[in-house]
Amino acid sequence: MNIIETKNLVKTYSGFTAVSGINLHIPKGEVYGFLGPNGAGKSTTMKMFLGLVKPTSGSFTIDGKKYPGNRIEILKETGSFIEAPAFYGNLSGEENLEIICKILGLPKSSVSEALELTGLAQFGKRLAKKYSLGMKQRLGLASALIGKPPVLILDEPTNGLDPAGIHEIRMLIRSLPEKYGCTVLVSSHLLSEIELMAGNIGILNRGHLLFEGTLEELRQDASAKGYPADNLEEMFLAMIDEDNRKGGAVI
Amino acid sequence: MNFLSLLSVEYKKIKRSKIFLILFAAAFILWIPSIINSDLNFHMETEGISPENNFFIQGFMAMSWFMFPASIVVVTVLLNQTERADNGIIKMLSLPASTVKLSLAKFIVMLSLAAAQILILTGAYYASAAIVSVIQDYNFILPPLFVAKETGIIFLSALPMTAFFWMVSVCIQTPVFSVGTGMASIVPSVLLINTKAWFAYPMSYPLFVVSSEYGKLAANLETAQPELIPWLPVAVVITIICLIISCSCFGWAARR
Amino acid sequence: MNICLEYKKVKRTGFIQLFLCGAILAAVVPVVNMVFRTEMYTSIHNTPVQILLGANWQLMAMFNVLVIVTGTCLLYHIEYDNNSIQKLKSLPITESQVFLGKAALSVIMYMSVLVIEAGAVIFCSCHWFVTGDGFWKELCQNFIYSFIMGLPCIALSLLVSEACKNMWMSFGIGVVCVFTALILPEKPFFLSLFPFAMPFKMLAGTKHVINYIYASAAWIAVTSLAELLLIKIRRSFE
Repeated sequence: MNIIETKNLVKTYSGFTAVSGINLHIPKGEVYGFLGPNGAGKSTTMKMFLGLVKPTSGSFTIDGKKYPGNRIEILKETGSFIEAPAFYGNLSGEENLEIICKILGLPKSSVSEALELTGLAQFGKRLAKKYSLGMKQRLGLASALIGKPPVLILDEPTNGLDPAGIHEIRMLIRSLPEKYGCTVLVSSHLLSEIELMAGNIGILNRGHLLFEGTLEELRQDASAKGYPADNLEEMFLAMIDEDNRKGGAVI
Repeated sequence: MNFLSLLSVEYKKIKRSKIFLILFAAAFILWIPSIINSDLNFHMETEGISPENNFFIQGFMAMSWFMFPASIVVVTVLLNQTERADNGIIKMLSLPASTVKLSLAKFIVMLSLAAAQILILTGAYYASAAIVSVIQDYNFILPPLFVAKETGIIFLSALPMTAFFWMVSVCIQTPVFSVGTGMASIVPSVLLINTKAWFAYPMSYPLFVVSSEYGKLAANLETAQPELIPWLPVAVVITIICLIISCSCFGWAARR
Repeated sequence: MNICLEYKKVKRTGFIQLFLCGAILAAVVPVVNMVFRTEMYTSIHNTPVQILLGANWQLMAMFNVLVIVTGTCLLYHIEYDNNSIQKLKSLPITESQVFLGKAALSVIMYMSVLVIEAGAVIFCSCHWFVTGDGFWKELCQNFIYSFIMGLPCIALSLLVSEACKNMWMSFGIGVVCVFTALILPEKPFFLSLFPFAMPFKMLAGTKHVINYIYASAAWIAVTSLAELLLIKIRRSFE
């Protein structure tokens, strides 16, 4: 069963098409990797899911709920982290989470849980503006994970983290469906990273969905088309390169 | 990096900031009531001032009491936010440019925006004087040389105030406090111009200068005239102190 | 609940202190005026409240309006500063609820400012004048009226700061509006209904008192509608 489905989702900005009629199928209780180079339309799609950007045409449902009619219901079930972490610099990490906690109507204990989960427990009292880049990133993640929402939308969550941090967050994301039964949509521009976290992937380039399916299907698809199947990263780059040469037509 | 190129960088930073919208809006709004009530200029027998002089000086008085100082405070907010919004200041401080020069360049940007506001205001004055001349069938347009002299004096008298506002915005890092201090310091100027210690308060200089000009133009009105001593030395000292403090403090919060 | 959240968000921003400092500065005005011009004011034949407000309200209201403009600017500046507005939009809370929370906080702060100013008037009245029977009633009436007159100004300047992402832009517009209020002529009547000019109105000596109260209510309704419209328009452009 798919928890997120899109139907010909399009977003155009005066003369420029960021997302061009994509049809995504994100299965429930899985980690879905959203892959594509910079400017492929990943963030725009995720922003549309959160109602931060209005689709030009097309529609989507999240857990059976339709946008824009059920926007608030969708947001109640969705934890998110988009582009750069968003926070109040004048408040401590803990206070930032307390605000989200109140809006979501969660118990106070979820603040410390989220801090613990993201490794920020000992820095909870520090002002958010004094956080390092990695800590800000973790705060952003904590604000998405708080209350263990059924759907998690994470836009390049490992940006700015050190190698140990990247590993830790990847492990955390991978464990989320099993631990809390949630569905994770995670974006990245590195296939190698997605490979470590996700079972299903969607590849986006210049607003078009080039591929959707499991990693195994991607390998088969690749070898059928003559790409080197043993090195997925190379295959991904070749796919993007070919699409760019075609001028962005859908495969 | 030499000072001129630093200055051009500073001008580039405020590109597309729409600051001129605010400056134009203020000038536009200022003259509308004057145009609507232009007939009142003919009933100034008690003060003994000619209608054209009254039209001119009332407008500039309203400007120098609140809008002119307040727009300089707005400009300080603009300059600070442009630097702080996306941590631009960090980049600037990591470049081989002296902070003193950087601070002075920003101060000059402030001065040129203040000058721009006076120019816009003067332009708006001529436009509205022309309109009123037609409405009232009386020549309200004053000779350009006279207007240039008056506006020049207002601009010069605003130098210490501008330096003070720049110092406040550099030294007080919390935006709301720097803005609050700036705005709060404008309000008392209307009271202070009537005291003997007006020259110690730079925010009252433009208003004092305009109201003393009012006294000169109105035959039956006695207003205090500025005495260059002690005003001039005090003004110079205040300006220099403010600039020294702002130059030495500039960027300290970012470097902490 | 929203108001508690908004209160939490303004921690360490100087918002509360701003209102307090503004209130204290405004409260100092009548006291200083009385200290230096005792004879002049005590010789006037009128009630203490009318004498004190008549002599000082314009300057006190100026502080009030400036505090409102700066404070409301800050309320949305904290949202835009670190992009926290984006997080807020992706939470199950509507933007109008956020606006309402911020408006409620500003109104409470404005009320506190008026209470402090009323304190100064009480002090001056007791110290320099003889307070008669109707003193407290008159005082309350005057300050309740001033409170009502301040509401449109709060609503509109909050709307401006919501509409502008840059703090200096909303602050600049606020300053231009205050300036407009200062130079607006009293006639024709509709000009005196400008929201930023209304906080300068006093109960004593004001004609059309009831009309101003209606105007205040009308402004609040118009601003609320404009707020809803702004959210709708912004959403369609995102």
